[in-house]
Amino acid sequence: MSFLVRCPQCGNRSVYEFRFGGEVKQRPGPGAPDLDWAHYTYTKVNEAGVQREWWFHRSGCRQWFQALRNTLTNEVQDSFFPEEST
Amino acid sequence: MSEPSETLTFQFNGQPVTASVGDTIASALYRSGQRIFSRSFKYHRPRGLLCLSGKCPNCLMNVDGTPNVRTCTTRALAGMKVTHQNAYPSLENDFLSVVQRFDWLMPVGWYYKTMTNPRVWHAAEPFIRRIAGLGVAPSLDNVNGNYEHSYRHTEVAIVGGGPAGMASAIELATQGEQVALIDDQPALGGHLRYSRSPDTSPADLVARVRALPNIQVLQGRYCFGLYEGNLLGVVQPRKEPKDAERLIHLRAGRVVVATGAYESSLLFPNNDLVGIMLSTAVQRLIRLHGIAPGKVAVVIGRSPREESVVADLREAGIQVAATVAPESVVKALGRQCVTGVQTRDGQYACDLVVMCGHRIPDAGLLNQAGARLQWDARKGAFIPTDFPPSIRAVGEVTGESLIAAAILPPERDPASKRAFVCLCSDVSSQDLVNAIDEGFDHIETLKRYTTTTMGPCQGRMCQLPAIGVCARQTSRSMGDTGVTTSRPPNPGVTLGALAGARHHPTRRTPMHYEHDASGAVWLDMGEWKRPRYYQPQKGADEKFCVEAEYRAVRERVGLIDVSTLGKLDIKGRDVGNLLDKIYAGQLSDLRLGRVRYGVLCDEAGIMLDDGTVSRLADDHFFVTTTTGNLDFVNQWMKWWLVGTGWDVYITNVTSGLAAVNLAGPNAREVLTPLTDCDLSTTAFPYMACRTAQVAGIEAILMRIGFVGETGWEIHFPAEFGPDLWKALLDAGRRFDIRPFGIEAQRLLRLEKRHVIVAVDSDALTNPYEAGMSWAPKLDKEDFIGRAALHRLAGEQPRQKLAGFIMNEDILPEDGAAIMVDGQLAGRVTSVRFSPLKKKAIGLAWVPAEQAHEGAEVDVRVAGRLARARITEQAFYDPEGTRLRT
Repeated sequence: MSFLVRCPQCGNRSVYEFRFGGEVKQRPGPGAPDLDWAHYTYTKVNEAGVQREWWFHRSGCRQWFQALRNTLTNEVQDSFFPEEST
Repeated sequence: MSEPSETLTFQFNGQPVTASVGDTIASALYRSGQRIFSRSFKYHRPRGLLCLSGKCPNCLMNVDGTPNVRTCTTRALAGMKVTHQNAYPSLENDFLSVVQRFDWLMPVGWYYKTMTNPRVWHAAEPFIRRIAGLGVAPSLDNVNGNYEHSYRHTEVAIVGGGPAGMASAIELATQGEQVALIDDQPALGGHLRYSRSPDTSPADLVARVRALPNIQVLQGRYCFGLYEGNLLGVVQPRKEPKDAERLIHLRAGRVVVATGAYESSLLFPNNDLVGIMLSTAVQRLIRLHGIAPGKVAVVIGRSPREESVVADLREAGIQVAATVAPESVVKALGRQCVTGVQTRDGQYACDLVVMCGHRIPDAGLLNQAGARLQWDARKGAFIPTDFPPSIRAVGEVTGESLIAAAILPPERDPASKRAFVCLCSDVSSQDLVNAIDEGFDHIETLKRYTTTTMGPCQGRMCQLPAIGVCARQTSRSMGDTGVTTSRPPNPGVTLGALAGARHHPTRRTPMHYEHDASGAVWLDMGEWKRPRYYQPQKGADEKFCVEAEYRAVRERVGLIDVSTLGKLDIKGRDVGNLLDKIYAGQLSDLRLGRVRYGVLCDEAGIMLDDGTVSRLADDHFFVTTTTGNLDFVNQWMKWWLVGTGWDVYITNVTSGLAAVNLAGPNAREVLTPLTDCDLSTTAFPYMACRTAQVAGIEAILMRIGFVGETGWEIHFPAEFGPDLWKALLDAGRRFDIRPFGIEAQRLLRLEKRHVIVAVDSDALTNPYEAGMSWAPKLDKEDFIGRAALHRLAGEQPRQKLAGFIMNEDILPEDGAAIMVDGQLAGRVTSVRFSPLKKKAIGLAWVPAEQAHEGAEVDVRVAGRLARARITEQAFYDPEGTRLRT
């Protein structure tokens, strides 16, 4: 039925409170070859394991953040605002 | 034995049945003399009580309109209306039991073998649905009762209130943990309540559980699934018919599974006759309900269990004709009810057969949590192992104190057409053997081909015997044969409980009740209510009303409520950067007091939304979105802001502002007396915006024209919605102003060929195909979708959104097919009758070769093809002079 996602601001909440934003990808720069853009737009790694993802706390603080989620167990190992991670 | 004290009455098939307080529906019916409780799914064989613990499919009935209720675990309540299922005219005389004589027509997998052609299936479907089945689903407007959800948290959840569960609860609670103890029985105690175990009484454990304040007992609630993050799905049945059935989402830090072991059937011919019961069911009838379920019994079982069962029977005054080992049973005798047992040593007459069946650890929840099941031949059971860190098991579910009930895999050839493995869908051991011979020799393919373990019992009765037959026929061990996967929900849950309460939030615009007073006919748009059109007199014809509204806008002046538009107030030094990044057009160079139309695409160049962008100050923009896309656009903007460090503040002001569009040749004359703002075209041209007072109310005015006439979109504080609406209608009275609805607006914009994103476009539409090649500004260095749009700009689209007008006087439907040379070539996205052209006009996707002025295509209308002519220009005022004057 549902797993828990840890919002860096609100803590552990039901996944139903969130919108999933997909894998975190590096957007090509202007003028990058079409192939890079096609890869960025259409290809997903769909990692069987820990993957870095975008999440939006729709029913909470309404912030985008990133999470490390194990796609095999749906365990969210860590989450953070990307500005604060680097 | 408990003495019946108080009584109550419910109805069974229209007849009153008396029950003691504490009776289940099944125990009360059994006491009243009912022996047949259901007819089987396929062969309509009579079935009676078997498990009395909600684990088998034999007692499913319709209770107060809800089908497939397990009557053996459902408390009898006064006034309940209970009816049987899947039998006509009665359970005792079911005409369809003749089906079992034709079992040779229905070999295993006969669905797959017979229904190989859609026509055969469509011909057979109504008949099959009538004769095979599991009751009738209630109709939508006859859904039984209320449903609700609740959410709970606990440090530890313990599933099962037997001795092991209670001991675990006491231990953890004494250590200071907060414990939720879930038990599906009417009282704590588990098997101690009915089994013969003189050394322990549940009373002491129950008293200690009750004395600990940090144990919360969820009595009479059953757990149907254990999900990720230790979430337990728990159903709380109704205590009174007027109660809501409640689904509890119970989130636990740790879970202790103490579900014990249940008993399942033994395999021999005619093992499904009425009067053949599991030993635990007999013990429950005797000890919990004070019913002796027969006069003369044969006990099938091995020592030592069979000895305690014999003692129980004797104590209840039931004569024991024989005790026989499972391996020596040849078959049970009888037509409907059992009359005897034939063994290799002789024949015994009886009216009750007690099976000391396989004891199976109830490990479904553990399996769902990721535990493996491992075969243990000595215990005769698959034992759960390898638990995830926060899950523990205690008691019989771990396999402790289990002893094999019969030899598995069976030593003799198990094949018989009347030895039922699966009671839910009448699969015999012969069916399994045949399926294995046909090549379905893996336990998972065998399951899917024969539907064994896929019925209401979800494998509880049939899984172990099926594995046994499969192992025997394929000469594998039980462990190598393996088990099928357990998935929630088990036991079954009503769809109503999963769906919960019927909450349909409704959003009303600030002028809602003004529209109501004007005779609005409502349209649901997402959560919003919007006037589709207005009926000046009750019962007025839609076409007449819409055309009157249309004429008011084209000839005089009209007023429409557009409060549902998404409205974003965006402030900050870097708003221009953000808008340039996410809109395909250039917006940072928008001059103060000007409005620009914006199209928003994704990285693939697909159009996601459109709207207007107004600049109210250097660092202050006002953005509108389509009604349904507000949340998406708001989130989209915030997403692309992450990590930029830009100074941008987005405020959603959708509910805070009301909005109207005043449009028509007389719009200026209506608005002028209400505002100090100079509305002349020189001072306030097309695509300009101003902030000013209108009727004393602070407002943003935008001169834009979706409907193609001189007009102003006015945004103002929601609390003044009705005031400004009335003020504008009052000021417009001398021009016979009319409020207009969505229908008129759609017609007016269609004559202007204005596209509505997500009505005329879809999830694959780019601006070049939609005829908006002017929208993307590819000279911008970067924006979302630039790379894809740059590529698309250099390609010839395969299809285009084109305007069309019908040659003859006929109105196709939205979505009608477009045909070229007899081939399907596109579809109509919007079509309306144009009072201007006196013909149906619209927008349609057509092949690019056809998308030029004068080309002709066919439109499918009312079962035939009608010619339509493609037009490139707007149908009304193509130069847009009316907008600009």
